[in-house]
Amino acid sequence: MDRRQFCQLAIGAGAAPFVAGAAWGSDIKAILHDPEAPEAGNPKGDVTIVDFSDYNCPFCKKAEPDLIRVIKEDGKVRLVYKDWPILTEASVYGAKLALAAKYQGKYDVVHHALMSIPGAKIPQSKMLEAVQASGVDMDRLNADLTAHAAQISALLQRNMEQANALGLQGTPTYLIGPFKTMTLNYAGFKEALAEARRRQAAGNIIK
Amino acid sequence: MVRFLKAGIQLLAALPVLFFTAPINAQTPPPADTVFALAASHTGDDTLALQWTIAPGNYLYRDHLSAKLDGKALPLALPAGQEKDDPNFGRVEIFHDRVEGKLSALPASGQLEVIYQGCAEQGICYPPVAKNIDLATLTIANVHLGLGGQDAINASSPGDEQAAATKPEATTDATDSYLAGNPLLMAAGFLGFGLLLAFTPCVFPMIPILSAMLAQSGDRLSIGRGFVLSSAYVLAMAAAYGIVGLIAGWSGANLQISLQTPIALSLAAAVFVALALSMFGFYEIGLPAGLSNRLSGGARGGGSVMGAAVLGLGSALIVGPCVTPPLAAAMFFAVQSGESFKGAAALFFLGLGMGLPLIAFGTFGARILPRSGPWMIRVRQIFGAVFLGVAAMLIARLLSPSVTLVLWGAFAIGIGVFLGGFDTLEVASGWQRRLGKTAGIIVSLYGATLIVGASGGASDLTRPLAFLAGQGAAQAPSLEAMQTDSPASFDAAMAAHSGKPMLVSFKADWCTVCKSNETIMEQPDIRRRLHALPIIDVDVTKQDASARELMSRFSVVGPPTLFLLDAKGREIPGSRMIGPITAGEIAKRLSQAGA
Repeated sequence: MDRRQFCQLAIGAGAAPFVAGAAWGSDIKAILHDPEAPEAGNPKGDVTIVDFSDYNCPFCKKAEPDLIRVIKEDGKVRLVYKDWPILTEASVYGAKLALAAKYQGKYDVVHHALMSIPGAKIPQSKMLEAVQASGVDMDRLNADLTAHAAQISALLQRNMEQANALGLQGTPTYLIGPFKTMTLNYAGFKEALAEARRRQAAGNIIK
Repeated sequence: MVRFLKAGIQLLAALPVLFFTAPINAQTPPPADTVFALAASHTGDDTLALQWTIAPGNYLYRDHLSAKLDGKALPLALPAGQEKDDPNFGRVEIFHDRVEGKLSALPASGQLEVIYQGCAEQGICYPPVAKNIDLATLTIANVHLGLGGQDAINASSPGDEQAAATKPEATTDATDSYLAGNPLLMAAGFLGFGLLLAFTPCVFPMIPILSAMLAQSGDRLSIGRGFVLSSAYVLAMAAAYGIVGLIAGWSGANLQISLQTPIALSLAAAVFVALALSMFGFYEIGLPAGLSNRLSGGARGGGSVMGAAVLGLGSALIVGPCVTPPLAAAMFFAVQSGESFKGAAALFFLGLGMGLPLIAFGTFGARILPRSGPWMIRVRQIFGAVFLGVAAMLIARLLSPSVTLVLWGAFAIGIGVFLGGFDTLEVASGWQRRLGKTAGIIVSLYGATLIVGASGGASDLTRPLAFLAGQGAAQAPSLEAMQTDSPASFDAAMAAHSGKPMLVSFKADWCTVCKSNETIMEQPDIRRRLHALPIIDVDVTKQDASARELMSRFSVVGPPTLFLLDAKGREIPGSRMIGPITAGEIAKRLSQAGA
């Protein structure tokens, strides 16, 4: 872990008791347990990571493989995806594709496909190509995109409202147990998870 | 390093209190507005420089900087950025520290939208930031962006402007619907309007006037008496408006303006001078004791109730010109309805609403006012001076700017004398007297400067000696307007510029807002644009038949009213401005007219 990582985690740790933040109080449940929000990892995990991200955010893409690896190795983490497409118009398009794939149980697949596109400022066409190549049923996806358009838009709107209520400044932002952090690497995620568990053992539980 | 980290975290965990007291913001990334600061400046007539200052550790993307004018993208000239190549980031150009972009061939007014986006190297990307720059004034306002950096509520900002542009009309409509209903609703409606007006700066000058009156009754002041006095003041003020409404409804004429005729203004000024003299102790204004006792519920206190009523009537004069747009709505109704009683009631309640906070102040604020003592005389003198100032202000509307300056100069010298500027100091004189003398000399000097300035042709209270700095060779010629005051002269002025759009401005000598509007129109940017546009001034100082005819031709309720005529002499819809204007508003309307 280098100095930069330390700073980043310290930033998370310092911001930790967002329980105390006024914005959290009533909305915790809505943020952690939005029935529409796609989830991954262990649904019965003892720590929840909430991932606010954008498909055109380089730091999100960089952190993605580390996050997935930590969650897989840990085995007891519940992951909640919050698509928060703020950077480009294409980000919104990508988020809608991913959320439409949720209806055929393939949000994860599309999310990773989009996060793995190399480069910056990915246009809609490139995103569509990546999704087509990911092996989802495109006819079904298109149908869901139309049928659930209102639901998907409402979820994106809700995510944005939650991010604003939390005072999030940009992407990525991860809520890890009681912590709030910017981008992290493998070691950083592990450290944050360990600290989150220590906190929860001490009674600082967010559910 | 890891151990250090753990130690640090444990230390923090051991001090949970710290978390709850430490501001969370200190630990989270700073908001994008703190990290990226935007400034705009003119580099030429139609060119603009946009400067971004970027906090250390942050950067902006070169191809995420953009500018739009009224929704159309503009070419933004940017220097080459620093190259950054990273598998996740791709090949991008970024800016650290600062960057300047240049825009050219811009119109003189319009709304420029600038969008920029960047990241912190620590590992967070900020959402795009959008700012709205008013090209006429270069004021920068926030634009709220929604998902994907799209102008989520872009549609609402022009909508807002539209709403602002049509405000006077909207008020009139609201008024109409109130008045169409039952009388109680109407009274309540106007009472509410009045209450809103009470919080405009125009009503604030009434507070010292009222407190002066309360101070005059000295140690006899109780809550009850404070209430009686302030009520008398407010009722008289409301009655003045009521009478205006009554006559307006009855005659269809505009009495707000009649209250501002030279005779009314001179009378009012005389009243204030009389009050000032009473404050200086020359005499007591009073009614026969029996009458005044009855009026004030038996409290002993001389004829101050009458004095209060006189002051209230006078105050209607002071406030009148300040509140044109809302008053215009009430007036418009009174005239249109043609029912004198309704008109009177409407304006009475408007005045009452304006005065309600004053009654509250007079009743309860009186408790806070100091009680008695020899200094009371001093206080009364101060208010005497204030009244003289008010009288000068009223009469100034009738005088030429230079004469006004002399008047103010004399006033300042008088105050200087009263402050003791010319009293002889003894060796033993205390600091109060010395301070008073200092202040007196300063005020007298200022007064003398004003008089000198007036003889040099100055008219600006804040810069009386500006003429000494030379007549500013670089100054653009001042705006020239054609002065009209009758339908005949107006038609002649229109004919002289037929086939061109024109700006019509209704003004009057007594209208202070008109004067501040002129100052705004003299701003270099606006003046440059107005220069190409014929301006017709309609002088309605004299509220005679020809002025009334012009006002009714354009449905003008009172000055200041500005609007644009198209090449065919028709008013351009949405171009009308009633009351105080801003540079942005006028610039926008000029653009609409294609000027």
